[in-house]
Amino acid sequence: MKRRCCLLALIGVILCLCGVFVSAADYPSPTERFFVNDFAGVIEPEAEDEIFSHAAALYQKTTAQVVVVTVHTLNGEEPADYALNLGREWGIGQKKENNGVVVLLAVSERQIYIAVGYGLEGALPDSKTGRIIDVYGLDDLREGDFSAGLLAISKAVINEIYPEYGQTPEEDYVPIDEIDPSEESSVMDSVISWIILLLIVFLFLRRRRFFRPPFPGSFGGGFFGGGGFSGGSFGGGSSGGGFSGGGGSFGGGGAGRGF
Amino acid sequence: MKKGSVVLIGVLAVIVLLVLALVGTYNGLVTQKEAVQKAQSQISTQLQRRADLIPNFVATVKGYSDYEQKTYTAVTEARAAVAKASTVQEQSAANDELNRAISVWVNAVTEAYPDLKASEQYIALETELAGTENRIAVARKDYNDAAESYNIAVKRFPRNLIAGMFGFGQVDYFESQAGTESVPQVSFD
Repeated sequence: MKRRCCLLALIGVILCLCGVFVSAADYPSPTERFFVNDFAGVIEPEAEDEIFSHAAALYQKTTAQVVVVTVHTLNGEEPADYALNLGREWGIGQKKENNGVVVLLAVSERQIYIAVGYGLEGALPDSKTGRIIDVYGLDDLREGDFSAGLLAISKAVINEIYPEYGQTPEEDYVPIDEIDPSEESSVMDSVISWIILLLIVFLFLRRRRFFRPPFPGSFGGGFFGGGGFSGGSFGGGSSGGGFSGGGGSFGGGGAGRGF
Repeated sequence: MKKGSVVLIGVLAVIVLLVLALVGTYNGLVTQKEAVQKAQSQISTQLQRRADLIPNFVATVKGYSDYEQKTYTAVTEARAAVAKASTVQEQSAANDELNRAISVWVNAVTEAYPDLKASEQYIALETELAGTENRIAVARKDYNDAAESYNIAVKRFPRNLIAGMFGFGQVDYFESQAGTESVPQVSFD
């Protein structure tokens, strides 16, 4: 009798575990590289490497996580819901700061959606997120060049996050707000803003050398000392691409487009 | 040891256990109720966010001379109703009404001024509005999930006894009338 009870209990436990397993299997698990998950197999290896290195650099400097995901199909779900649920399930971003972003591309639905975690809604309001897609991504995506489109979009998203942490964006990035909506980025414009940006960087560097920085030793709202490339180690570790989510959550912010 | 004192200790132990169980259950209910309230305030925040966006929308449209005043009155009224709503039921009803009003108005405006749709400002505001709709949907779902688990907790034996003792009642769900959920929808094609 006792053995029977044990057996029943065991079966119960196994059934429960199965239930957990089934409900978790709605969304794929993150890949080894975490920041790039090309489940649809549409990103060229070089572009994938590049996206990964940009996203990993952002993570090490700010703890914000930008995760690119491509899927064949959303299984009938809305892109916004899929991105949100996946972001919550993977725990993208840090738990306290909710600083995660999901860039989701669905191949057969021809949809792109960028879900923004609570903590980054200031740096990436929906209208800006939508413009990033319009300006940097839509042309490439429409032509079927998903590698170029996703690379450009994720670079833009990453660089719009840096200032939120008091850090300068990558040097070759033109902030989306500086792109004139009326004349779609004429060459002259980008050259001028390039020069301005370089000047600013130059001046900034000089200032730092001769004077003490205005806020001693701190970027990023006092979370990290020194800035720079040393990085230290944050949570999931920095070796061998074994990154993982930090338990961040999402509240439905973001924007999407069909292409 | 006398038999009497053994019984006494036994009774005391049972009482202590019961009190502990009671405290645990009570605290559990408080936590869940708190989660429900937090989720509810999130809905209010998002409803407010949308209400605040509408004047921006109007400002953009106003550039296009006299915009659709007639349909806009309904939006103003619905907006006021959302602001006034206090209970979950009132909020969800007012929200439905505002959805309807906005969609009627946006359609009227974009029909009257087709080139508005191409303007950068309009696209930005439309994206914001869509994002807010999405946030409201998420907040509503989170609220309903929290409310569901709380309601179940309150109803189950033996917690229902404790819930009754301390006045933990059921909470309402944030329901939306069918057909109003995806509004307002404006395509850029």
